[in-house]
Amino acid sequence: MNTKQLLIGGLAVLAFAGCKPHLDTQAFNNGGLDFTRYVAVGNSLTAGYANNSLCRSSQMSSYPSILAQQFSAFGGGAFLQPLLKSEVGFPGPKLILGYTTDSVTGVTSLGPIPDPAPSDNAGDEANIAAQGPFNNLGVPGIRAIDFLIPGYGSLNPYAKRFFSSMTARPLAELGRMNPTFFTAWIGNNDVLGYATSGGSGTINGGFLDQNSISNSTLFAVALDSVVNRMTAGGAKGVLLSIPDVTAIPFFTTIPYNGLVLTRQGQVDSLNGAYTGTGITFKLGQNPFIIVDNSVPLIKRRPMVEGEYVCLTVPQASLKAGLGSIQPIPGQYILDATEVGNVRSATATFNGMIAQEAAAHNLAFVNMGAFLSTLSSGILYNGVNYNAQFVTGGAFSLDGVHLTPRGYAFAANEIIRNINAFYGANIPMVDVNAYHGLAFP
Amino acid sequence: MRKQTLLFLALMLPACLAFGGGYQLNLQGLRQLAMGGGGTAMPWDASTMFYNPGGLSRLDNFQANGSILFIVPSTQYVNDVTGVSARTQNKVFTPFNVYLGGPIKKAGGLGVGVAVYTPFGSGTYWDNNWTGRYAIQNIELQTIFIQPTVSYKFCDEVSVGVGVVIGTGNVKLSKAIPIQDANGNDGEANLKGNANGLGYNVGLSFKASESLHFGVSYRSRVDMRVKSGTANFTTATAIASQFPNTSFDATLPCPEVLSVGAAWKPIEKLTVQVDFNLTGWNAYDTLAFNYSAPVNGSMRSASARLYQNRIVSRVGANYQASEHLALMIGGAYDPSPVRDGYVTPDLPDANRIVLTGGFTYRIVSKLTLMAAVEYVTSAKRNGVSNETGFSGRYQNKAITPGIGLSYDF
Repeated sequence: MNTKQLLIGGLAVLAFAGCKPHLDTQAFNNGGLDFTRYVAVGNSLTAGYANNSLCRSSQMSSYPSILAQQFSAFGGGAFLQPLLKSEVGFPGPKLILGYTTDSVTGVTSLGPIPDPAPSDNAGDEANIAAQGPFNNLGVPGIRAIDFLIPGYGSLNPYAKRFFSSMTARPLAELGRMNPTFFTAWIGNNDVLGYATSGGSGTINGGFLDQNSISNSTLFAVALDSVVNRMTAGGAKGVLLSIPDVTAIPFFTTIPYNGLVLTRQGQVDSLNGAYTGTGITFKLGQNPFIIVDNSVPLIKRRPMVEGEYVCLTVPQASLKAGLGSIQPIPGQYILDATEVGNVRSATATFNGMIAQEAAAHNLAFVNMGAFLSTLSSGILYNGVNYNAQFVTGGAFSLDGVHLTPRGYAFAANEIIRNINAFYGANIPMVDVNAYHGLAFP
Repeated sequence: MRKQTLLFLALMLPACLAFGGGYQLNLQGLRQLAMGGGGTAMPWDASTMFYNPGGLSRLDNFQANGSILFIVPSTQYVNDVTGVSARTQNKVFTPFNVYLGGPIKKAGGLGVGVAVYTPFGSGTYWDNNWTGRYAIQNIELQTIFIQPTVSYKFCDEVSVGVGVVIGTGNVKLSKAIPIQDANGNDGEANLKGNANGLGYNVGLSFKASESLHFGVSYRSRVDMRVKSGTANFTTATAIASQFPNTSFDATLPCPEVLSVGAAWKPIEKLTVQVDFNLTGWNAYDTLAFNYSAPVNGSMRSASARLYQNRIVSRVGANYQASEHLALMIGGAYDPSPVRDGYVTPDLPDANRIVLTGGFTYRIVSKLTLMAAVEYVTSAKRNGVSNETGFSGRYQNKAITPGIGLSYDF
């Protein structure tokens, strides 16, 4: 290369460099937190459960996995999850969006259907505790009070996969990895089981009452035990509260007055059938008729605003007279009293979680407030997210758990609180980099 | 129940089209460009048909003048919350201009000519899967204005001119639709169309003395109308019926510009000039697309822009170094018409500083080589688009070399 070429080349490089914008990225930091061993404790939400099942890709986009990814640039160590092989779902198939033809009307519509792909989870039931200890200890279905039950590992198909002992209490599993940092999102199922079963159980449930609201004394003991166990080695961490489950699509998708009558003939025949009961029908939207044993003789009544229909209600039957001629059984309905029970228990448990966080000087994330924000809509980089079923983009097809994008929002909310509480500046994730619902 | 909930998808429609200051190119003459982009007062050459048609009859000769420029715009985006950083792809755009005109007779009163130039012609290309893909993936606008011009010199001091502007061009843009198919791929909207519009350009040139010149010109707004542009959508089959391939109409206003300028020759060989361009950016109030079939349930998608009128200030100097060689230098300050809350990644506009330089070299008696280079750098702007919620810091830079020839008849 002669001098002239060198000169021209040099000038070209200078010109090129000079015409490139240069923005410094912000200095992020971990605020002195030690992420060497981050352990996540929780239930299905922590495991990455979505679309009514658990599969490998949903585990990969669990919020703890997303958090670990963000922590990795700030001293975070490896993050081991008890990964499944299955993509279709374990133990049953996940829901996907697909077409079904209504047997009554003959109308084909898009909605959640079980993944028709052949099951691919053979071998996934085998215990993989030897590969542990694991960083993600999320067990779908586990309640806070279950952490105290000896032998829980043999009762829950997910716990059975990776718990090291089939006889010990789940609390013992928490001690296997001495965490430097942890998140704990427990307690949802201590309310949710009651709610999704239409308030089938009691409000003072013990260990065996899956459809009850957990006894609050047991809850307090379990919560304190979990937190003590996690902080035994001096770990810092985050406690997450329980969002109001009546705000999730499982309860908000089918309105209480979703009985839509389009023909006067329908109205007349229903009014005829209900003559003398005081219940009348009109064209348009009507409240569903539900079972209520407190009503003399007819044992039924119209729903009122503030009561909820579970997404699990047989929807084909709704078109064939369920909710009008036939009352909807209580297992599909969260009535006003039950809603009150759910909300009051949620408030009680959240008060305990907040207190526990304060007592141990841990960050507290108000997931109820987060869900309210989501419900009112989040405009994020050109996409409108909200808490609506399917169209909202954040909730998966079971109406309870989140999509990868929904979990990314949850991870960001946790990071926001970590940053605020611990004076850190950890970057949030680009929510749109994750998957939403897949449309056929 | 489920069927009903699926009918309405809360999406952002492809409404965004912002042609901010960065799309308006002030590259219509290399001499003027080299002096910061001003040329209202002094009729430097036949390209005065663009800068001030009133100067055409004051030229010494009938002239052919043409140039081509190479813009390489570059934008960087940084999100301080996620740490995500992105840069636009390197694309070269080549605006050009050709002028043929001057006094019919030497020292006569009447001048005629025709001008062909590209007042808008640039684009922004982000990677297709970048973080702002639901706001914009890429956008490009190309316009060519053809301007037949007449000019009349009443006396040595005063001349006027008027040109009819016939605009033609094309626009295209792509953005992702936030609904994913079974493979996790986003949908995509691709819009493109040809645009046409009419306008005019008038000017007055005033030579107060041999050493002091003034000018005023007004270029009208040109509404570039897109008729039956094509709107193509690629989406998951389940929602394809909500995104039919269709056509659209839209109007893209090229704003009016009122310019005043002064040029002063303190010594014979040196000319110093200043220009001010008041640009009527408030033409960008709303940008709307009217579809011929409902797209996601709507026949129209509109996007508020609320641009503000702005004054660009330009200063430059020309030094006649020898009989053959003239050297030029200049600069400009170009304040952004884009308000806070309307900073979009299709053109994240910000206040800009322009530095220019160039030379002309007379090769033979009638043929002159022209060369100029423009360097534009924007302020680092922390902006948000209220419409998409997309926010971050931006900076724009562009370096634009140009080369041309002029021939005096």
